[in-house]
Amino acid sequence: MNISHIVAIIKKDFDIEVRQRYAIAGIFLFAVTTAYFIYKAFNNLSGLEWNILVWIIVLFAGLNAIVKSFVQERKETYLYYYSLFGPLEVIVAKLIYNYLFTIFLTFVVIFVFTILFGNPVKDYTLFLKGLFLGTLGISSVFTFVSSVSGAGSSSGTMMSILSLPLVLPSVLLMERITAVAMRLITDTAIAKDLYILASIDLLIIGMVIFIFPSLWKA
Amino acid sequence: MKSNWWKILGILILIYTVIVGMSVPLKPGIERADSISMGSNGNNASSISSGENHVIKVIGYNTNYKDNTNKAWLRLDTIGAVAATKFETISETEANVHFTIPTIFPARDTFQLLSMVIYNKEDGPSILPDAFSIRTNQRSNSNLTEWTVDPITNITDKPGMQFPYRSVLNETIRNTFFHIPLWFSMFILLLISIIYSGKYLKNNNIKDDIIASSLVNVAVLFGILGIITGSIWARFTWGTFWTTDVKLNMSTVAMLIYVASLILRSSINDVDRRAKLSASYNIFAFAALIPLVFVIPRLTDSLHPGNGGNPALGGEDMENTLRMVFYPAIIGFTLLGLWMTSILIRYESLKDRWLSRK
Amino acid sequence: MKKYTPFLTILSLLLFSSSSLQAESPAIDFLRSTGKIYSVIAVIVVIILGIAFFLYRIDNKLTKLENKINNEQ
Repeated sequence: MNISHIVAIIKKDFDIEVRQRYAIAGIFLFAVTTAYFIYKAFNNLSGLEWNILVWIIVLFAGLNAIVKSFVQERKETYLYYYSLFGPLEVIVAKLIYNYLFTIFLTFVVIFVFTILFGNPVKDYTLFLKGLFLGTLGISSVFTFVSSVSGAGSSSGTMMSILSLPLVLPSVLLMERITAVAMRLITDTAIAKDLYILASIDLLIIGMVIFIFPSLWKA
Repeated sequence: MKSNWWKILGILILIYTVIVGMSVPLKPGIERADSISMGSNGNNASSISSGENHVIKVIGYNTNYKDNTNKAWLRLDTIGAVAATKFETISETEANVHFTIPTIFPARDTFQLLSMVIYNKEDGPSILPDAFSIRTNQRSNSNLTEWTVDPITNITDKPGMQFPYRSVLNETIRNTFFHIPLWFSMFILLLISIIYSGKYLKNNNIKDDIIASSLVNVAVLFGILGIITGSIWARFTWGTFWTTDVKLNMSTVAMLIYVASLILRSSINDVDRRAKLSASYNIFAFAALIPLVFVIPRLTDSLHPGNGGNPALGGEDMENTLRMVFYPAIIGFTLLGLWMTSILIRYESLKDRWLSRK
Repeated sequence: MKKYTPFLTILSLLLFSSSSLQAESPAIDFLRSTGKIYSVIAVIVVIILGIAFFLYRIDNKLTKLENKINNEQ
């Protein structure tokens, strides 16, 4: 495990992302279009709908974005990676990159929603805590599943079938935490939910790091 | 014959489960109790106040009210009980019980809950918890003598083995031996399967992959059966086939995860890659299952015991008579599941051998 | 997916037929009678049907495999 290698992989991923501008633009366009669609359909959103729709858009846009982190790379690239880096470095780099990407995506979606519908968030610290922990769970599940389905065929549908049930606990908990942050529901024991979300994240990341090396050899 | 002992054991245990689980009677119980008299202030049934005379119509289940040793009490927790002034038997399962509700209640809430206790020599005691909510006019902690004049004494249980009676569950309490063990054995099978998945990732022996995937197959079948049987049970106790109950929906999501893993398997043709991917997904899915089934249902309200602050299986929900059938049923269903798995494994390895010979 | 088709059909039939069973319908009343004991029997029948379905499926698979092996020889 070498920090400079991890940074190198993240930087490479970022470079590819910037060079293939259509991919990243497509995802943001997807998010913005969906938000605009909702705006034209609903005109006005209650806090509850705001909360749910933001996370659903983040979920599906993130799904589309992270699918390609393993799927789009060619066999030769894999071989090249294999000769240069250890599996641990690759997966840690992918986890970090996808996490940063998902957070960025979330902020873009929230920004668009704030412009179109206003912002019902009351407790920003709690909201951000929920956001950071929840997206961590989502992005690491997606990373793992894309590494599994990337090796298989018909990865697009496979990816959503495999990953959506797996992210459900994190998404539900995150939604609950952000709903509390918007004062939609009151819950004095919300700190416990934060701890549970954090431990689910740790469990997922631990499993990813534990399993990935044996997947990598294939 | 020697290596087949566990299959025979499994079937024998299941036969024991069905016979004992279906033939042991329920304890006599009180199905419902309603006040049919008009109170002195003209109100009826639903609102009973202290210091009034009431006639309560009792409908029993499995009871023998024609036995002439009937006694009835209204019990207030930790304080004592008042005995009935008169017990009129209508039939074996119906009776009118007359009560004089005491005037003075202990100094607690305005509304206090009374349980009803009926005893006769034939049936032993039967209890309807929280039968009445009583509006109390006078509350004090002294002068509570009315509650201790005729205490609940001289009670002997009905001899023999019986399952406990619960007023909504009735006979469906027997589903404890069929619905819940399905889930337990599903978990045992999944646990064994991740051990074999780990073994596969370590040794790359295709035999381990066949065992793990067969176990998942049978576990998914058990899970689906668990959902259907639970849904039938829910129809007759909670009133609908499907509720928003967390545990129900989380188990469905868990099933989706595992059905997805079977679809993943069928989508890959290369044997080694399929084995590797499904082994890693299997381990990951089991890790994701733990928060899904054990953590989240405990946080939210649920109708299941052990969730939403309800006590887990144990205490009032599981009595020793139930345990005597419930634990063997888990072992029986697990052995049956293992038998089914072993047939699947033999089929899959035969197919594998045939494919590799070709 | 194809191998689950008969099972899913039966399941959906069950669900559809059950949604037509209102609380007052005779079928539900029958299942409710005698302390709801028939709902326990329904549960046992479902479990037996599930195991029978498993046996049926593996029987079919084995027949196919046998045919393949026999044709080869």
